[in-house]
Amino acid sequence: MNLIRAEVERLSARRFVQLMIVLLMLAFGVTAATTLAGSHQPTAVELAAAQRQATANIRGMELEHARCLARERGEPFRDDPGLYLPSDCSELDPALQDRLPVAADYLTGVFTFTRQAEPLLYFLVAYLVLFGFLVGASYIGADLNSGGVVNLLLWRPRRLTVLGTKLGTLLGTVLTVSVLASLAYLVTFWVIAQIAGYPGPTNAAFWAELGAIWGRGLTLVLLAAAIGFAIATMGRHTAAALGAVAAYLVVWELGGRIVLQILEVARPDQLMLASYVGAWLAGEVRFWDSTACRTVTSGYCDGSYTLTWQPALVVLLLLTAGLAASAFALFRRRDLL
Amino acid sequence: MTSGVIEIEGLRKTFHSLRRGRRVAVDGFDLLVEAGQVHGFLGPNGSGKTTTLRALLGLVRADDGRMRVLGANAPEQLPQVAGRVGAIVESPQFYGNFTGYRTLRLLALAGGVPVARVDEVLAQVGLADRGDERVKGYSLGMKQRLAVASALLKRPELLILDEPANGLDPAGIREMRDLVRSLAANGVTVLISSHILAEIQLICDHVTIISRGRRVTAGPVVEVLAGFDHNEHLVRVDDLDRAEELLLAAGLTVTGHADHLVVSGVPDPTTVSRTLGEQGVWVRELTPLRPDLESVFLELTGTPAHPGVPRQVDGSTPPGQPTTDQEIDLGMRGVDA
Repeated sequence: MNLIRAEVERLSARRFVQLMIVLLMLAFGVTAATTLAGSHQPTAVELAAAQRQATANIRGMELEHARCLARERGEPFRDDPGLYLPSDCSELDPALQDRLPVAADYLTGVFTFTRQAEPLLYFLVAYLVLFGFLVGASYIGADLNSGGVVNLLLWRPRRLTVLGTKLGTLLGTVLTVSVLASLAYLVTFWVIAQIAGYPGPTNAAFWAELGAIWGRGLTLVLLAAAIGFAIATMGRHTAAALGAVAAYLVVWELGGRIVLQILEVARPDQLMLASYVGAWLAGEVRFWDSTACRTVTSGYCDGSYTLTWQPALVVLLLLTAGLAASAFALFRRRDLL
Repeated sequence: MTSGVIEIEGLRKTFHSLRRGRRVAVDGFDLLVEAGQVHGFLGPNGSGKTTTLRALLGLVRADDGRMRVLGANAPEQLPQVAGRVGAIVESPQFYGNFTGYRTLRLLALAGGVPVARVDEVLAQVGLADRGDERVKGYSLGMKQRLAVASALLKRPELLILDEPANGLDPAGIREMRDLVRSLAANGVTVLISSHILAEIQLICDHVTIISRGRRVTAGPVVEVLAGFDHNEHLVRVDDLDRAEELLLAAGLTVTGHADHLVVSGVPDPTTVSRTLGEQGVWVRELTPLRPDLESVFLELTGTPAHPGVPRQVDGSTPPGQPTTDQEIDLGMRGVDA
């Protein structure tokens, strides 16, 4: 317990951690201020007009779908020049759409919480992933480099306990910061929507979806922190983690992708870590495989495929667990000079 | 081997590096430090001192050998005795942005030592007024004092100090000497590695000298010095040639120098003055040449300076191989080598 207290104090007293939190608050403040400045509470007239426009658009979608169904049944329908009707009418079925137009879509100069919450949350998660990775890497990297770990081991000569406590402290602190930051962030924008914007139609499904993104985002932040910590432990330096990620992105995500395309390897996105990060965060990601329809000469060919969050989670967990296990195994046997 | 506070038998450590290849750092080294001793641990740069201390403290994995600290097998049982061992290993480094006080406070927290002890040790090492300054602003000597303070936090029974006088000014060296003496007077066993041989001679009662990873001598300082006392005397007279002739005729061993003679193997100096005086050669100076730790060290490690020849790190000579023009037989001279 004493060791945990000491490590929490050591981590929170680090300049880099404090700087990252200040930057987070700065980004948060700037976003909130510009949102507040660029938004106004919609008048009843604006809301009514937006509602009419949404209703009209839904009606238009229903009409298109009805025309398509009429064509399928061989019934006459009013044909507009330039009107495209797909072979499969379900594509136009309003009931099967991801979402239908709502009044908020037609409000200009109005911050609408239900429309903006997701992208705002993705932005915050992206920052927190960066925060977790950099703090994780610098926490152990600077400690290994500055002799802090050696000093600690002279007091507590149990390497795995010391490293495990450091990792646990890191994950606990990053999780606490992430939870508090994201709650403060969402509550702030909810309040802005209430006083100077439009909250939008919220229901259980909206909150459940937002909650799922939030939960998956926080998990990703923890995984990033653990990966940064593990690579910096193996490389004995913060820069090792930064270098490893930069090398991976340039060599594999960029160079490897080009080589895979030249070699016409099937589903290259499946071999990229970024795809799994995206799939985990968004719930699922759809990719198009250019090689799938090479042999199809006639008819419709759907070359798309989907990565869902379940396999993405398995891949990300295996990667993190593998790196962490390697870091612990290496640290247990390493000569500390 | 009798039981001691520190017992090392047959310690071996080889470092392997892709760039530098294989380097034997410690090659069958033995060390015994008994309770209450202030034990000097000497050796040229790169002779294996720090590697030995790091292996003893569990920071470096030994390839072979047996080590015990306060009766516990090292490194396996180190956690059982770590609270009774204070140590600094080579130039200790600290996180620069933390203050001296915070650095010690975190160690005290991690080690379960009352935080009130921090102020006591800061005062003990002369940093009472500088504890609230960032470590990056400390001089090398102040960092060294901070390191010693960290070792004293636990009120150790055994204090291991690797080059504690590094960077200290003359007053600081004297304060360090007084501190070690007062600790020893209070029953603390102290093992000091240092290059400042005069200091070691002043404060240590026992000494072990290591060269090329092997012990070349060990024992009480007085006995080690006595083993190198060749009953030599410096003689100055007006007529050096005549004096040399007379002394050689009397069966004494004489070495001529530009302005003096050195007569060896003469337990009683009156032999010299009588031999010369009876023949009318009057002695202007007759000084016994007692060995000091520096001369013993240089003889044993084969590292005296040669004019015009830059000495390489650990350019010491393996025991038994003479390097100087005096043809020293190290194997014969060592007390228990």
